[in-house]
Amino acid sequence: MGLHRIGAFLVVCVIMILACTYAQAQNQSPLLGARRFLQFCAGCHGTDGKGGDKAASLATSESVRARSDEDLFRIVHDGTTEGMPPFAQIGETNIRAVVHFLRMLEGQSISGSDTAQAPVKGDVGSGRSLYFGKAKCSTCHMMQGKGGFIASDLTAYGRNRGNDAIKQAITTPDSQLVPSSRVVTVRTRGGQSVTGVLRNEDNFSLDLQTEDGRYHLLQRSGLTDVHYTDRSLMPRDYGTLLSPEELNDLASFLIAESRTPRAVAGQSQ
Amino acid sequence: MKAQLRRQEFISMVAGSLLLLTQACHAYGQEEKIAQHESSNPTAQASTGVTGLINVTPRGLLQKHMTDNWVSYNGNYTGARYSAMTQITPANVGRLAAQWVFHARAVSPLEVTPLVDSGIMFVTSANDAYALDAKTGKLLWHHARAVTPGLVDDAGQHHNRGVAILGTRAYMETDNAHLLCLDARSGGLIWDVPYATGNKNYGATSAPLIVKDKVLVGTAGGDDGVRGFLAAFDAESGEEKWRFWTIPAPGEKGNESWPGDTYLHGGGTAWMPGTYDPELNTLYWGTGNPSPDYDGSVRPGDDLYTSCLLALDPDNGTLKWYFQFSPHDLFDYDAVQTPVIVDARFKGQPRKLIVTANRNGFLYILDRTDGKFLFAKQFAQRQNWANGIDKNGRPISAGLTPNQSGVQVCPAAGGATNWYSPSYNPATHMFYFRSLDACALIKSSTEPFEEGHTYYSTGTRGVGEPGKGFINAFDLDTLDFAWRDLQYGMDKGWGGVMSTATGLIAYGDDTQNFVILDGRSGKPLWHFNVGQLIHASPMSYAVDGKEFFAIAAGSDVFSFALP
Repeated sequence: MGLHRIGAFLVVCVIMILACTYAQAQNQSPLLGARRFLQFCAGCHGTDGKGGDKAASLATSESVRARSDEDLFRIVHDGTTEGMPPFAQIGETNIRAVVHFLRMLEGQSISGSDTAQAPVKGDVGSGRSLYFGKAKCSTCHMMQGKGGFIASDLTAYGRNRGNDAIKQAITTPDSQLVPSSRVVTVRTRGGQSVTGVLRNEDNFSLDLQTEDGRYHLLQRSGLTDVHYTDRSLMPRDYGTLLSPEELNDLASFLIAESRTPRAVAGQSQ
Repeated sequence: MKAQLRRQEFISMVAGSLLLLTQACHAYGQEEKIAQHESSNPTAQASTGVTGLINVTPRGLLQKHMTDNWVSYNGNYTGARYSAMTQITPANVGRLAAQWVFHARAVSPLEVTPLVDSGIMFVTSANDAYALDAKTGKLLWHHARAVTPGLVDDAGQHHNRGVAILGTRAYMETDNAHLLCLDARSGGLIWDVPYATGNKNYGATSAPLIVKDKVLVGTAGGDDGVRGFLAAFDAESGEEKWRFWTIPAPGEKGNESWPGDTYLHGGGTAWMPGTYDPELNTLYWGTGNPSPDYDGSVRPGDDLYTSCLLALDPDNGTLKWYFQFSPHDLFDYDAVQTPVIVDARFKGQPRKLIVTANRNGFLYILDRTDGKFLFAKQFAQRQNWANGIDKNGRPISAGLTPNQSGVQVCPAAGGATNWYSPSYNPATHMFYFRSLDACALIKSSTEPFEEGHTYYSTGTRGVGEPGKGFINAFDLDTLDFAWRDLQYGMDKGWGGVMSTATGLIAYGDDTQNFVILDGRSGKPLWHFNVGQLIHASPMSYAVDGKEFFAIAAGSDVFSFALP
């Protein structure tokens, strides 16, 4: 390589390093939060924040969800009277990162720009009709106990997400692919091809779920090919299928439903 | 070139499949109703024919010949925990090997009996439910729900004995007595019904039982001044269909024992799953001790229907008959131990029986068609509260009454046996169960009922020689014990038993071992140190022709099979 090429290469590296550092500082990189959570919190609260041997679930706790970020910061910093030790020593940047990561585990918006009291901009009733009708969300997603099983439960999805973030998630899905939603196609030694959602895998086995609900419990030794896609089952054409008004209505429905207490079964309200 | 073409073909195939799949997601109409279709092969496993596809049919729940699928708490409605599988035998069980361990996030030792259908295993831990690949123990889904603060006694320990399944739905109780209906294919919450209100001391620790189209649940809190009941909910909608209160209200038969509003705090909770005879269309359900436990002065009389076996109509909850093991109980002698359904010769005649080992130290045999008392035998080595059982099955009281300074009572308040599962093996004609020989000092002092507090009205502690645990084999042909196997250890284990067609008995012992014995002789054949307390009962299942045993211990579920 010529000197000028080395120089250009070095400049690019420096720019990239600076950009990454800037991005980290500005955006509270989820990677830092994930790492620190694993390091300091998961031992008691579980790697998914859903509870461990020594401490309760955070990700599914109503009372944790209801607390402000500042409140959570204080708890991590000072500990609690119920036996959680203080973590002041890990420093402010790390504490903010784990709080941010916890919000992600709770299913909240990454950017945090849309607040808990996101305004409902569209027509909730129309949104409901779309959810169960034209947009066919209920085919795959459960909402307040109604709907499908192959994709995530959306009952609480709208709780801390704003209108824009929801619309973006609908029109450009898989920007952050959740591992247990990834679509995988395998070919067995018997020549059968199975495409399904990858629920778990290790060096020896993997379990797929197809849209009929069936789990395919597979040994890698019985497969000739495993192809990982970069997507979930979520259709990618909602941007053209639904009008801007319809997308607003759908987002509003999700936000409104997340604030509606669950109806008690078998009783009239 | 060939490799390239294959690759291109494969990519097109993937793309095509993805296209079809996403289109299908648009077009596919999801059925919310419970799938009730029968297996295409009626002589095969009645619940489902396809590995990985959950669908427990009412017919599957009726299975008597139990092999691959363990579809309710005791495996089937008989409560016998008897597996008809024959792959694991006394000859080869020495080679049994651990297959996998699943670590559940537990707040107290697991008490769950796993369910398995079509190669999928379901377990619970406190308010969480998990679906696992039963071959590998890997997680398929996890439904998480925080434990409830502020509960008392057993519910405050957040025990949970497991799920019930019907169709594609899994049902469970939460610690604060909610009945949850989950989609068994995802863990998604379909509905949530709070079913015990009016008293903060209610909680729940059991596994529901599904009979026909109804989910049956009881509560915890029998030592805490709640009014016990068994309730039935529509499995589809969650609507309550009937409720049988175990403590009669004013004007109802049996209310004589309950002056004033004591009936609201009478206990008699139904805190374990019962059994069911579909031919007689009868539920058999045990009730707990009366409340307050040790102070009988506030509840004179027999205290119906505490410490009873109830025979109920599953369609409407009406009482067909009852048998009371311990009238006016003063020693915490619950009668919730499994009323095992046995069809066997009794004194030479084929009969429809209930066989049950009671906490009060006696084993009972009843005719389950009408509740007629047939036989009782003391199995507690030390027993001083009854001078025998009369010809109607009523104990002849020795007059022991707890007081302020305390009286020594055998069996202890924890009972000569407790909720851990027994098993009946039709191959050996033996009824197997764990027992504990211990005595206690029981004190009593009248106290008011208070929400947020237990209602024992005072207390108990162990006294005399330390308790000795046994695994017992009671022979129905000789009406005597074939063998009684002393358990070493400090009585901390609460593991139940199951048995198999090859004459094996499996159980968790008091020293953290999962053990298999020869059922005829009691001889140990194999064991495995699970390294934690076993507070649950074992089950067995098969996937793709491979037979497994599984048991929960501490915070883990262990699975075993031949290599």
